[in-house]
Amino acid sequence: MNSNVYLPEPAKIIRIKEEVQGQRAIKSFRTQFLNGNRFSYQCGQCAMLSVFGKGESMISISSAPNVEDYLQFSILKTGRVTTALHEMEEGDVIGIRGPFGNGFPLQEWKGRNLTFIGGGIGLAPLWGLLHTAVKNKEEYGDLTLLYGARTSKDLVFRDELYELKKDIPVHLSVDTEEEGWDEFVGFVPQNVKEKVTWPQNSIAITCGPPIMIKFTILALKELGFEDDRIYTTVENKMKCGIGKCGRCNIGSHYVCKNGPVYSWAELKDLPQEY
Amino acid sequence: MEKIITKQSVPEWIKKLEDYTIYAPIKNEDSWSFEVVEPRQPEVIDLNYLNSSPSPKKVVFPPKEVFFEFTGSIYDRMELKETLPEGRPQVILGIRPCDAAAISRMDEFFSEDVKDPYYLTRRENTILVGLVCNTPPSPNCFCTSVGGSPHGKTGLDILMTDLGDDLYYVESLTQKGVQIMDVPDKPFRQAKSEERSKMRKIHTDSVKNITREIKDMDTIGTRLDNVFNSSLWEEESMGCLRCGICTYLCPSCHCFDVNDEISSTSPLEGKRVRTWDNCQFPDFTMHSSGHNPRPERASRLRQRIFHKIRYSQQNFNNYLCTGCGRCVSNCPVGINMIEILNKI
Amino acid sequence: MVKLEDIKKEAKKVLEEGKVKYLIGYKRSTNGLLAAPVFISDPKEVDQLIWEATCVQNLSRFLVDEKRKKAREKDPDNRPVAVIAKGCDTRAIMVLLQEKYIEREDVYIIGVSCENAGVIDERKLNRKFKEKKPEKVLFEQDNFSIATKHGKIQVPQEEILAERCIECKANFPVIYDVLVGEKITRKCDNYFQSLETVESLSPDARWDYWKEQFDRCIRCYACRSVCPMCYCDECVVDSINLAVTVDTTAEEKAQKIRWIEKYPDVSENLFYHLIRALHLAGRCIDCGECERVCPVNIPIRHLNKKMEKEAQDRFDYEAGLDADKPSLVSSFRDDDPQDFIM
Repeated sequence: MNSNVYLPEPAKIIRIKEEVQGQRAIKSFRTQFLNGNRFSYQCGQCAMLSVFGKGESMISISSAPNVEDYLQFSILKTGRVTTALHEMEEGDVIGIRGPFGNGFPLQEWKGRNLTFIGGGIGLAPLWGLLHTAVKNKEEYGDLTLLYGARTSKDLVFRDELYELKKDIPVHLSVDTEEEGWDEFVGFVPQNVKEKVTWPQNSIAITCGPPIMIKFTILALKELGFEDDRIYTTVENKMKCGIGKCGRCNIGSHYVCKNGPVYSWAELKDLPQEY
Repeated sequence: MEKIITKQSVPEWIKKLEDYTIYAPIKNEDSWSFEVVEPRQPEVIDLNYLNSSPSPKKVVFPPKEVFFEFTGSIYDRMELKETLPEGRPQVILGIRPCDAAAISRMDEFFSEDVKDPYYLTRRENTILVGLVCNTPPSPNCFCTSVGGSPHGKTGLDILMTDLGDDLYYVESLTQKGVQIMDVPDKPFRQAKSEERSKMRKIHTDSVKNITREIKDMDTIGTRLDNVFNSSLWEEESMGCLRCGICTYLCPSCHCFDVNDEISSTSPLEGKRVRTWDNCQFPDFTMHSSGHNPRPERASRLRQRIFHKIRYSQQNFNNYLCTGCGRCVSNCPVGINMIEILNKI
Repeated sequence: MVKLEDIKKEAKKVLEEGKVKYLIGYKRSTNGLLAAPVFISDPKEVDQLIWEATCVQNLSRFLVDEKRKKAREKDPDNRPVAVIAKGCDTRAIMVLLQEKYIEREDVYIIGVSCENAGVIDERKLNRKFKEKKPEKVLFEQDNFSIATKHGKIQVPQEEILAERCIECKANFPVIYDVLVGEKITRKCDNYFQSLETVESLSPDARWDYWKEQFDRCIRCYACRSVCPMCYCDECVVDSINLAVTVDTTAEEKAQKIRWIEKYPDVSENLFYHLIRALHLAGRCIDCGECERVCPVNIPIRHLNKKMEKEAQDRFDYEAGLDADKPSLVSSFRDDDPQDFIM
């Protein structure tokens, strides 16, 4: 990438897919750098997307690192920059800086069972990780995905989820009763308590709204997971992406640099200010 | 190299540094600030100053800086023009050791891990000429409590000591320092040994003259950790107006904001700019969703003090605060970091 | 002369009776000459209170914070807050009441009269007496008494009295629950004398003067933060973030206009200060805090004083003096001047 870390690399949006419509709209964007380059990254890392004239937003890369043709970002419409992104069309130019942050320590998890727990848009940071693990199934133990959202219309990657069911157990859930829904009804942490079995040799990775993460971690601990076997990602307001502007810090850590991936063992010792 | 220069000859020395932009303390009514001095008018420099407000960090870390300019269209292509600073050679004359130490902390921070090219380009071309504080410039100085000293050399290229009798003792500390002392028709002369002894005595006395201190700094880290969740922060911050003076005047505060500013929408033209930002403002950490990790003044005051003392200790093994006392002297409601740290 | 004991007595009484949540007063600060605000809820702590010529802060500013805090609490304590207020401070409270930002029952005012004195301007004091290392400045009949390590210095008032006290229109509290001290009116020949220096310049010279001043502005917003009238949750300069809640939609956030860029350029700075002066027209009561706190010594009070003069000349209006008058900018009279409209 650029020697000047503040200078974005122009990229074109090659595909936009609407995942969720309505007030809390989510769209997936696939991008390609204009000069044909690509950068290498690890699962869990993020990039700063620039909409020139509006600003930047730190989004996790949801495509797996082995995918060479594009970078995928799944973005929830929530403010200035993300609304501008949602109004863009295929072919429009944005800027990308990255990759930033630490990634999931996939190497350390070889041979273990991996349980992925996602809520709402929180599946996006886990998506690349999930696919990398599935592609290299033989290196890991049992893989399981638990994913839930408010309603079935708020589930992201819906078609791909049903495809994924062919490879690994996928347990979906929605918060309240819905016509035509035959899977679990209730909050994700409740689903966790039902479906997740004895945590021997298992790592749990969870991502979603803060309240879901809090109760999921409680549920996992009740099941017997140890603090260093639970992983999550943290988000904070970010502007520079490299730990210099000073606003994303939790204690002495900068989330954009030392995070966003943390094990519960590390996170619980930091000041609970996020 | 250790030389002597008379106070009257200092303007002469400055006149010879034509290739440099000189920043020096200039008095405007009631206070001093570091401004550019025209090479032909060095008489406006006032080296008898106390300390400037705001601090000289603006010379290497300006309040406004353009990262790059963009023109084009999002439908087609975007041209980006990087606007790195020119790196013109500059000199900060008469900086106090606490401010210079603060700049060296910022050097460490901006070059650690990923380098910040904007800051570093300016910094590499800046020469710091320090001035010893024979007596503390402010009644709230406490540099000795945070590992500094009124005659400290951290970050400096030259250290000047006022010997009285209209003489300055000038000691070069780096190659850059030697370079700017090497001017034609040198206004310097060799230092005599009794002048060297006088300089040493002034240095020893200067440390004794500091009146404020933070006690037990060696245990401050654990003591701070113990009070993270205490109600102390709520009580101390009751008067806080979130005005931002403490952070903007601090010589080592370096948090910033990055924004896009448009000058035309079609064709789309604008620039991405960096501006100083302030952790005491309520929307500093506010997420787009409205969630704010630090909604109350108590948590923001706590963040500032922890950042200056505890987190910098954990990340860099030194204190980001260099004891200049500006935040203490200028707080409109008297919130005093020294008192708070002495209480816990 | 106002006796500190009387103030302490009133403070203790109201705290002991449990009538108020807490009391806001002045205490000796640890960082310099000027006083610092103190928040007392225990009647035994009233000994911390002081009453000297260094009590410059406008404590009514904390009533704004109190209201914001109450709005966030589920079950707020509805007792009033007691505040020690000088004449100018009570004018500020009056404006807050006129604008219905706070209710009369929310505040218990212990008014203290300046008794023909006032507070000091620290810069004036430093110019003349800095080497003497002043520690306290006390009221002493018609003078000030500066206490230093080496004894007391008597100084005639005019030498170090703040400009806003020289031009003061409320030498004693205009609204109060209890009053300490006597109502003595201070004589003033020209309430707008401080404007004369700049007003005498030609328009071009004036423009250059103000451009130079605002070039120094670092947009720390201390002037805004210290002003009791600047209580908007969404100020024109922060139109992006401040009034966001969980229910604000993404479109609403995206459409908020950034009226002033964050970039501290002369043009943006001027825009900010001029808008602020206009928003304070007819509301500013000249407590002078904005100018006192400015870290780069910009004469901010000037702009507000000019607007005050305009309000008086054009509309015969003085802010915060008459409880029955509505606020200037939210009312009109049939005989208001209209020559500038047609």
